[in-house]
Amino acid sequence: MTGNSVALEVRSLTKVFGRGEGVRAVSDLSFRVEPGRVTGFLGPNGSGKTTTLRCLLGLVSPTSGDTLVGGHPYRELHDPLHTVGAALEASGFHPGRTARGHLSVVAASAGIARARVTEVLELVGLAEAGNRKVGGYSLGMRQRLSLATALLGDPSVLILDEPANGLDPEGIAWLRNFLRSLAAEGRTVLVSSHVLSEVQLTVDDVVIIRKGELVSYGSLSSLSSGMNATVIVRSPDSIRLAESIGQQASVTVTTDTTGALLVTGMSAAEIGALAFAQNVMLHELHAQEHDLEAVFLELTSSEGGAA
Amino acid sequence: MNALRAEFRKVLTTKLALWLLAFSVAFTALNVLLMVYLVPTSARMVNSGQLLQIPAYVNSIVASCANASVFVLIIGIIGMTGEYRHMTITATFLASPRRAPVMVAKAVTYAVIGAIFGIINFAVSLGLATITLAGKEHAAIVPSESLQTLGGVILGFAIYAILGVAVGSLIRNQVAALIIALVFVFLIQPLLSAFVDWTTAWLPGGALDAVMNMTYRQGEATSGLLTAWAGGLLLIGYAVVLGVIASITTLKRDIT
Ligand SMILES: Nc1ncnc2c1ncn2[C@@H]1O[C@H](COP(=O)(O)OP(=O)(O)O)[C@@H](O)[C@H]1O
Ligand SMILES: [Mg+2]
Repeated sequence: MTGNSVALEVRSLTKVFGRGEGVRAVSDLSFRVEPGRVTGFLGPNGSGKTTTLRCLLGLVSPTSGDTLVGGHPYRELHDPLHTVGAALEASGFHPGRTARGHLSVVAASAGIARARVTEVLELVGLAEAGNRKVGGYSLGMRQRLSLATALLGDPSVLILDEPANGLDPEGIAWLRNFLRSLAAEGRTVLVSSHVLSEVQLTVDDVVIIRKGELVSYGSLSSLSSGMNATVIVRSPDSIRLAESIGQQASVTVTTDTTGALLVTGMSAAEIGALAFAQNVMLHELHAQEHDLEAVFLELTSSEGGAA
Repeated sequence: MNALRAEFRKVLTTKLALWLLAFSVAFTALNVLLMVYLVPTSARMVNSGQLLQIPAYVNSIVASCANASVFVLIIGIIGMTGEYRHMTITATFLASPRRAPVMVAKAVTYAVIGAIFGIINFAVSLGLATITLAGKEHAAIVPSESLQTLGGVILGFAIYAILGVAVGSLIRNQVAALIIALVFVFLIQPLLSAFVDWTTAWLPGGALDAVMNMTYRQGEATSGLLTAWAGGLLLIGYAVVLGVIASITTLKRDIT
């Protein structure tokens, strides 16, 4: 890495494919990706993630708006592979080339020494398979080769499009640690996915889009804080407790099939204090974990959820 | 410079070039053998012994490596369309986001490969012609004529490779590009020549024959060919026009 931190910026990006009406893949999208953090770029299939990344990388020309890498358009970077490493969906390999051959071609195009090819092959766990033709690779091995290609120039920015596709759970865990350590070194890491749960443990920030439009943008924790948490309460005296809870302003209480009370609008501590004051015995009191996947689905479902 | 190194490495890391070189050499050998030992149906009034007395015919045996030009066209087409077919074009343009130098590097690379194919095929046709004609009575192989053929094959094959790259970047579908190019070379071009005489000289095949000194086809002298210089210039003209159109469309294109 060249040492400097490089932020990514997407400003009012719009991309319409084709003439006339065309396909509106991205619509007035703006966000920033900060160095030293892993940012998840999320949205359902066809929501415009790949198109946005390809605009950012100078492969697709925006209809309007612009995209910047460290303040410059990608096409004006002096040494692009040392600045940005990208592994894009549907970028490919010649099946007749070996992984080593593929990497040596990319290395030549950026003036990178051949020794680095061996290094990145080892880094992604392809040292053994490196001399085999890519045509015989599994999807997971191709993902690793994509990652190796992105890492060739030891870039300050890493852009990965659906990197977890085709990886086994072990591979996903490995990728998570790997991306975390890259961000810890001060690099900018942008990872797209159509499933939040895949990257939930990896990312610090999220950018969520739907049909090419921004629906949520911020830290992962801020994504859930807007939602009302549910507190589950069990008590042998639940009827009396439900009554007194129900008297509080803007609180809802329901009873589930097991007899537990589901309370929204009050924190677990407040409920505990109320029960204590009322002399009601509690058997269970806990706030339900936020189901981020549910939040994500709600935000990106076709009907609703504009933030 | 880096782009140029990358383009050469692309060619050297697959087996395609070697296979096509092998096919082209075999095809050239076949051409020489046919011209030395057989007489085309259309020229049955003469016998092969008589044809071999004609200096232009003997020189055309040496120049018959011209027919291997189709393999050079194919390598250019496959090299370019392969980038789109396997989506390696993404990696190419990520490394060199300024696309014009990439197109130039590709043109230079394939021109060099075309020239190498040309030299090897020329060596095969000259060598095989010399050997097979040895026991026969024949007009001499004139060194100065062969030298012109050598110059012509280098220029002509370089241009054909560039034409292949240009066709491949205009028609990105590999199968479609190959079919269209082969239909043009083997069907449209001969048809035009046969029915509209004057087109022969102005089509790429006629220009290549002119620059390579390939004046005899089907046992008859081709009429109305341009001079070697004019043929060479015409070929360069084709490459420039097609290359510029291909480059302009490639510079703007969305890579998805
Ligand atoms: N080259 C293209 N021509 C026309 N439409 C395209 C092209 N590329 C993508 N699209 C359309 O743009 C939309 C967004 O696609 P994409 O960016 O691939 O989404 P994602 O990566 O989020 O799945 C989709 O409707 C897709 O069909
Ligand atoms: Mg995508």
